Amino acid sequence: MSVFYLVAFLSIFFALMTIFTKNPVHSVLYLVITFFTLSIHYILLNAQFLAVVNFIVYMGAIMVLFLFVLMLLNLNAETEPMKSNLVKIMGAVAGMCLIATLLGAFRVIEPSNIIVQGDADVGLVKNLGKVLFNEFLLPFEISSILLLTAMIGAVLLAKKEDRKA
Amino acid sequence: MGAIITLSILGIILLYFGLYNAKKALLPTALIGLLVAIGFYVSQWNTVPDPIFNGMVVFDHLAISFSILCIVITGLILLLSKEYFRTMSEHIAEYYTLILFSLVGALLVNCYHNFAMLFIGIEIMSVALYILVGIRKNDLASNEASMKYFLMGAFSTGFLLFGITLMYGASGTFDLVGLRNYVNGVSAVSPLFYGGILLMLCGLCFKIGAAPFHFWTPDVYDGAPILITSFMSTVVKIACFVGFLRLFSTVLVPLDGFWTPVLLTIVVITLFTGNITALMQSSFKRMMAYSSISHAGYMLFAIVAVSVSSGSSMLVYASAYSLASVIAFGALILVKRRTGSDNFESFNGLAKRDPWLALVLSIAMFSLAGIPLTAGFMGKFMMFNQAMGAFNVTLLVLAAINAAIGVYYYLHVVVNMYFKAPAAQEEKGLEISANYKVVLTIAALLTIVLGVYPDVILSFL
Repeated sequence: MSVFYLVAFLSIFFALMTIFTKNPVHSVLYLVITFFTLSIHYILLNAQFLAVVNFIVYMGAIMVLFLFVLMLLNLNAETEPMKSNLVKIMGAVAGMCLIATLLGAFRVIEPSNIIVQGDADVGLVKNLGKVLFNEFLLPFEISSILLLTAMIGAVLLAKKEDRKA
Repeated sequence: MGAIITLSILGIILLYFGLYNAKKALLPTALIGLLVAIGFYVSQWNTVPDPIFNGMVVFDHLAISFSILCIVITGLILLLSKEYFRTMSEHIAEYYTLILFSLVGALLVNCYHNFAMLFIGIEIMSVALYILVGIRKNDLASNEASMKYFLMGAFSTGFLLFGITLMYGASGTFDLVGLRNYVNGVSAVSPLFYGGILLMLCGLCFKIGAAPFHFWTPDVYDGAPILITSFMSTVVKIACFVGFLRLFSTVLVPLDGFWTPVLLTIVVITLFTGNITALMQSSFKRMMAYSSISHAGYMLFAIVAVSVSSGSSMLVYASAYSLASVIAFGALILVKRRTGSDNFESFNGLAKRDPWLALVLSIAMFSLAGIPLTAGFMGKFMMFNQAMGAFNVTLLVLAAINAAIGVYYYLHVVVNMYFKAPAAQEEKGLEISANYKVVLTIAALLTIVLGVYPDVILSFL
C-alpha cells in the first residue's frame, strides 16, 4: 500500500510540474515521467499489458512526437496565444466544477463492489488475448478499417499535388 | 453484416482502380456496390433480429431502415460528385474510398449493440471526414475547418469514452441488453452511471451539433467542400442520431426523470440558437449550417419524448431533411460554379434563367421549412405529435415559434429566385449535366411523395 501512495504522490507531483514549468521542453519531460508513474500504477493493478502498451506507445512514441513538434514550432513570447484573466478564471471554475462532480460520484462508490474489483487476472496478456479474440473479435477486425482510413488520409494529405489547383 | 463487408471491400477495390488509373469505372462500381449493400439489407428484413457476433451488432428494423436511408443518400451524393472532385485534385479514387469507409462507420453506428462498436463506428466515420473536410489543401478555410473538426471531434470522443467507462464501471458491461438489465435490476443505480449518462450526452450532442456544443458546426460546414458538407450534414448526422436513439430507447428509459430536463434544455437552446443565427446569415451555405443545427433540435424531440414510435418519426424527419439538404447543396454547387459566390444574391432571378432548378430548390426549401405537401411537413408533424404525446406543451409552443422563424429564411431564397432581377451580365442559363438533373429530380419527387403519402416509409417501422 505504501508503494501505491508513493507512486500516487509522484504522479500528481509531476503532473502539476507539467503544468507549472515555463519551458515547454521541460513540461514534456515531466509528462514523460508522469506517464512512467502511471505505468507503475498499471503494474500494481496487475495490468501488465496495459503497462507495456502505455510504456511503449505513450512514453515512447507519442512523447517523442511531442518533442519533435515542440522543436519544429518556434515557441517564444510573441507567438503565445492571448490568455486573459477572465478566460483563466472561467477555465478554473469550470474545471473545479467537473472535479467536484466526479469526486462526488467517486466518493460514494464502495470499492469492495464485485464489479469494481472484477477479475484480478484479466489484465494479464493471456487473458486479455482470450477476451479480445473471442468476445471482441468483431471490433478488433473492424478497427482495421479505421487504421486503413487513417493511413489513406495521411498519405493523401502529405502527397504533393502534381497539378495546380 | 454482408453489407458492411461489401462496402469495406468495395473501398479497397476502388483504391486499386485509382492505382491503375481506371477513373471511368469508379462511379459505376461504387454505385453497384451500394446497390448490392442495399440488397443485403433488404434480404435481412424478415429475419429475426438477434444480436450477432457475441452481441456486438443487431440488425433490427431500426438499423436496417436507417442504413438503407444512409446508403441511398450516399448514392445520390456520389452521383453529384462526378465532376466535382475532378476540379479539385487528381486523387479521386481515394475520395470515393474515404466516403465509403465513412459510410461503413455510419452503418456500424446504426446497428451497434455494444459500446465497443459504437465507438469504432463513430471513429471510422469521423477519421474519414477529418480528411475529406481538408481535401482542398490550398484553401485556408478548408484547412481551418479540418483542424477545427479534428480537435473538436477528438475532444468529444474523449467525452464519449469517459462516459462509456463510467457506465462500465457501474454496470460491468458494454452490452446494451446487459446495461438495460442493470438499470432495471438494481435498487439504486450507482452515481457513476449518472456521470456516465451526462458525459455520453455531451459527447453525442457534440457529434450531432446540438447547442451548446455546436460551435464547430458553422465553420466546419462552411469551410468544407460543398459535397462533403452535404455528406456530413446528412449521413453522418443521421447515424449519430440513430446511435443516440438506440442508447436512450433501449437502456435509459427507466431513468428519464434524470436526463429529460437536461435534454429538454439542450433542445430549446438548440432550436433558438440555430434559427435565430440562421436568420442573420447572408451566405446560403452558412444558413444551411445553422439550419442543420435547428433541425438537430427538432430531431431530438424523438429522444426527449421517447416512445415506440420514436424510430418511425425520426426516420421520416431524417429522410425529409436529408433529401432536401441534398437538393439544396446540389443546387448551391451549380449556382456557385456560375457566380463564384454562395450568397443569397447569387440566386437572384434563377427562375427566369433556369425554371427547373428554381422549382426543385423551392421544393427543397418548402420541405425544410415544413410546408404541407412536402416531406418536411410530415416530419415536423410527427415530431410535434411525439412531443404532444408526452404532454409537453411548452416545448411544442417554443418549437412552433421556431418553425415560424424558419419559414422566413428558407423563403428568402425562394423570393430571391422568383421575384428579384438577376445581375445584368449573367443572361445565359446554367449548363446542368444529366447526373445533377437525375439526382435533383429523384430527390424532389421523393420529397413530394413522402409529403403526400408518408405511409411508404411509416409502414416499415
